[in-house]
Amino acid sequence: MKLTLSPPPHIHTRRTVRSTMAHVLVALIPAVVCALYFFRLPALKVLLVSVAACVAIEYSVNRWMLKRPNSIGDLSAVVTGVLLALNLPSSLPWWMAVAGSVMAIGVAKMAFGGLGCNIFNPALTGRVFLLISFPAAMATWPLPGEAGADGATGATILTLVKTAGADPHAFAQSDLALGNMPGSMGEVSAVALLLGFAYLLVTKVIRADIPFAVIAGLIIVDFLAGYPAEVDILSGGLLLGAIFMATDYSTSPMTRMGMLVYGLAIGAITACIRRWGAYPEGMSFAILLMNGATPLINRYFKPERFSIHQATPQ
Amino acid sequence: MPQTSKHSFSIGGIHPAPHKESSADPTLLPLPITATIMLSQHIGAPAVPCVCVGEHVERGQEIAHNASFISAGLHAPISGTVVSIGDIPHFNGKPARAMVIKASEDDHTADTMGREQYWSTLRLRRPDRDLSESVDAGDIRRLIAGAGIVGLGGATFPSHVKLTVSKAPEVLIINGCECEPYLMCDDALMQTFAEQVVEGTELMMKSASIPRTVIAIEDNKPAAAAAISAAIDNRHAITLEVLRTCYPQGGEKQLVEAVTGRRIPSGALPASVGAIVHNVATAFAVWQAVADGIPLIERIVTVSGDIPAGQRRDYIAAIGTPLSEFPFSLPEHAKVIVGGPMMGHAAVRLDAPVTKGTSGLTLLEGKARGPVQPCMRCGACLEACPMGLEPYLLASYGRLRRWDDAAANYVADCIECGSCSYSCPSCRPLLDYIRLAKQRSKKTRL
Repeated sequence: MKLTLSPPPHIHTRRTVRSTMAHVLVALIPAVVCALYFFRLPALKVLLVSVAACVAIEYSVNRWMLKRPNSIGDLSAVVTGVLLALNLPSSLPWWMAVAGSVMAIGVAKMAFGGLGCNIFNPALTGRVFLLISFPAAMATWPLPGEAGADGATGATILTLVKTAGADPHAFAQSDLALGNMPGSMGEVSAVALLLGFAYLLVTKVIRADIPFAVIAGLIIVDFLAGYPAEVDILSGGLLLGAIFMATDYSTSPMTRMGMLVYGLAIGAITACIRRWGAYPEGMSFAILLMNGATPLINRYFKPERFSIHQATPQ
Repeated sequence: MPQTSKHSFSIGGIHPAPHKESSADPTLLPLPITATIMLSQHIGAPAVPCVCVGEHVERGQEIAHNASFISAGLHAPISGTVVSIGDIPHFNGKPARAMVIKASEDDHTADTMGREQYWSTLRLRRPDRDLSESVDAGDIRRLIAGAGIVGLGGATFPSHVKLTVSKAPEVLIINGCECEPYLMCDDALMQTFAEQVVEGTELMMKSASIPRTVIAIEDNKPAAAAAISAAIDNRHAITLEVLRTCYPQGGEKQLVEAVTGRRIPSGALPASVGAIVHNVATAFAVWQAVADGIPLIERIVTVSGDIPAGQRRDYIAAIGTPLSEFPFSLPEHAKVIVGGPMMGHAAVRLDAPVTKGTSGLTLLEGKARGPVQPCMRCGACLEACPMGLEPYLLASYGRLRRWDDAAANYVADCIECGSCSYSCPSCRPLLDYIRLAKQRSKKTRL
């Protein structure tokens, strides 16, 4: 008779890396649907190119450079691909999306050792790389609907406020919430993003701490600067970043206190860049900055120990 | 219905599927012809045999003395002849000293009849409520020591040692949490012998002059809670507390916090916060020893897991019965776990015997571990750890053989409950590395 032998524990949660990533993909469905609805076929093209490129690059790096077992089955490359696409304008040329994917998976993820080892959020690294390399293409925003798909473009709310001196109070709240405005593919619809957020909370993939801290940090600075916080929350990539990018496991802190500090800082830095920086949008920079600070935060914010006191020596 | 407090411990914890569906009423497992009694089945010094090979022993007769204060005596679970005293492979394959007793046909028939009669009358008997007034504290402790009673929740620490205290604890906590999935032995005991458990609790209180007792049960065992509540009746010093189910609530530190709100300091015993914890089965054994003079030779054992529903049962089994005598059909690629699936150990041999600490057999089908994937730093282990440690970090230190760093991050606080490994989506063997680091960092400090 053969018996299986292993140390305890002998049972395991159903959650796996793959199921976690699958939950994130499900949570992204509303945002993807909105992106396709508002930006039509060009959006589909950017999405497919970006996902395919991310998966192909991870596969190639594992196969020919690192000579490690194939890891695309854990779906993390797919998640990065979708997130990268949602952070891009739908009018971006396909080869730029590929370049962004190379940066995201090849450099930000695999060069650091793959899943869990990266310091900076791969999708955002890809986006910022494109933003700095191709500023014009990355600041061309198709209008939502048929007109945009045919090539008509407009400016985002943040750009209008920053460069044209528009009054932030003047934008219609319903357009902001539903996403009927120019912007990155996935950032426009707050309702879709919040649906995804609710799903991630229910499935316990993420905790609410980071997204709420980000929004709190933004509100504090906006209050001091006298800017309407509700418009700031609903415009630009704030919700997409707070819900899906800042909560990335490997680049965010492990403890609740650490998460709060990290989130508050992201929100505050974003608002500062938006109000007083050179760029109209600052979410990506804020998250990447705080990604860099995460190891330090993990060092200073330890979990609350059960045994706070040491036993008195007898 | 007893009122529920719904307290629990404050940090971490997990909610594995309970799988608690074995029978409520324990069945008598037939006595074995050959019983193997491990000389070391408790914490402390192994017992010293006081009978010789070839000698005839009676069921319940002492066969080994406690070797020192922290040790426990052993008693013959069956009448018969001592055939050998020597090394025998234990369920984990490691040899350990054991005594083997073989019964003749007459011994076996006589024992079986006496045993069946005892247990059937016990179910009907209402225990004597004045028992604790008629014996004095020292006698109770002597009877407990003489009966070889150890902590039956799994830790097997000799009970008389815990009850010998210089300063009386403020509160006795009787642990009926049974937070391990699958295990039902304490639940069955509380439902069937609630009066005896409560009476045993009174005896324990008397033995160490403890003024107050809380019997703690998790809210997934309402029948047991109702039975205990009824058995407590109008005893004012004993209260029932129904706790919100969460693993590892049966852990001493978690339970003391859930009941009293006090946290035991690192490296200290419950006595440091005025508490003392005993298992419900220990309370029952104390009652048996004092009321009937019966030593610890039998215990309730759960058999559960991936086996047909009819085979999932609780048994009253004699210590020394080979594990293979439980009626179960092994699932394919079986893993036989002695104890529950969270903290129990996998067995390699089924000819090894039931010991005082055997709370159950969990038979799982093909539960090889999933493939290990890289840590994605999700923090699930931090959230699960009931001691507020950083399992991912400790496991890395263990893997890198950095024992001092592990010690500096409080690896010694780990209670080895397995919540970290359970909740890791990457199937990383966190607890394996942490246990290694815990052992090695202890060694380097000495």
